[in-house]
Amino acid sequence: MNAYELIVNILTALGAYEPVLNIFKAHGAEYVLKVIIVFVEIVVLMAFVLVTVMFLTWMERKVVAMVQVRYGPMVTGPRGLLQPVMDGIKLMGKEDIIPEKADKWLFTLAPFIVFIPAILVFVPIPFGDYLIISDLRVGLLYIIAISAISPVAILLAGWASNNKYSLLGAMRAVAQDISYTIPLALAAIAVVLFTGSLSTVDIVNAQSGTWFGIIPKWFIFLQPLGFILFLIASIAEMGRIPFDFQESESELVAGFFIEYSGMKFAMFFLAEYAHLFAVSAIVVTLFLGGWNGPIPSFLPAFAVPLVSLVYFLIKTYAVIFFAMWLRDTVPRVRIDQLLNLGWKIMVPLALLNLLVTGFLVTILANGVI
Amino acid sequence: MISDIVFLVISLITILSSIMVVQAKKLVHSAVYLAGTLIGTAGLFLLLEAEFIAWIQVLVYVGAVITLILFTIMLTRKGEEE
Repeated sequence: MNAYELIVNILTALGAYEPVLNIFKAHGAEYVLKVIIVFVEIVVLMAFVLVTVMFLTWMERKVVAMVQVRYGPMVTGPRGLLQPVMDGIKLMGKEDIIPEKADKWLFTLAPFIVFIPAILVFVPIPFGDYLIISDLRVGLLYIIAISAISPVAILLAGWASNNKYSLLGAMRAVAQDISYTIPLALAAIAVVLFTGSLSTVDIVNAQSGTWFGIIPKWFIFLQPLGFILFLIASIAEMGRIPFDFQESESELVAGFFIEYSGMKFAMFFLAEYAHLFAVSAIVVTLFLGGWNGPIPSFLPAFAVPLVSLVYFLIKTYAVIFFAMWLRDTVPRVRIDQLLNLGWKIMVPLALLNLLVTGFLVTILANGVI
Repeated sequence: MISDIVFLVISLITILSSIMVVQAKKLVHSAVYLAGTLIGTAGLFLLLEAEFIAWIQVLVYVGAVITLILFTIMLTRKGEEE
């Protein structure tokens, strides 16, 4: 049930799979065809992530403009839609500066360690029925583990720049990241208690159907507290504005990437927006039903993945819009308030949520009620 | 056949980076090479189809232990350059 099988099915329906496979079989190299299909999947995923990031930068500026009653970018393309393309060209044309006293090796390595996990995290995300690169048995654990690599890269970037502001920004970023990963993981574990599986596809399938024919069986209704904790923790983990200590402009200039310019800066930027999309997609997968939605029965079979993809994107963009809206409405909190909120309120609440959920699941499983 | 080649590549990366951990001049570089060693070990677990242990390895060792080591090195005075 993944994108590989979908591609094979489409090729078979077009009558192209058998002849091509026979050509490769004649040379005894069937695995080459497998490698080609996986390569196509990766190219499609990369293109999707890049286009999404460009669209998100445009959307962010438009949402800020809408809240502040301005127009935002309007000149390049219709409603300023080509603005991100121009920004990308500008960043590619900039000089790539490495500070003289920086640790050159780590300074160059850090953007890549930030960028690669931001792409890798998309592997087990179910974009729709069949539309998943690989349905890992431990998909949720994989997502949490891959996200845990980015603090290392942030620390390296901040330290290698040899700048006190970037080191301070990196330390704040990592302190924040570590303290909010705990409620994030605990809220996700409460969902896993319901499904009994770490696979993202199983989590989405557990949310199909409705109660009483009206209310969809999304985990947001079973886990309202968990949903709120997960949303706040993921916004804090991303370092977006109510919690943006790592790059608070008024104190630290720009945080851990002050010294970066040109394409290296662009990689941090890409990773940030790819992370925003990935986290919103995870929120949708865990709590908002994933790609589930009313699919009309008269549709032909090949249209089902497309319709589910549309449902998934609508829900994901709703979560992204919420994050952008929050950015324009709420002022930044102080660092002590942030850490107090994380350790003294969110971790105990997440543990309580886990306890109550585990209690209820055990009672229901043993048929006491 | 293919898995043998992958095993050789991963174990070479793991062994070379663990040698570099003790060879590197700067402590921070040692910590980065240690992260490489631990990721290589996770790759070996993946080859054995032990996905759970592999990702726990990444989560605990790369995510937490290396962050802790880097924090400690960066917050203390740089004495190794003299």
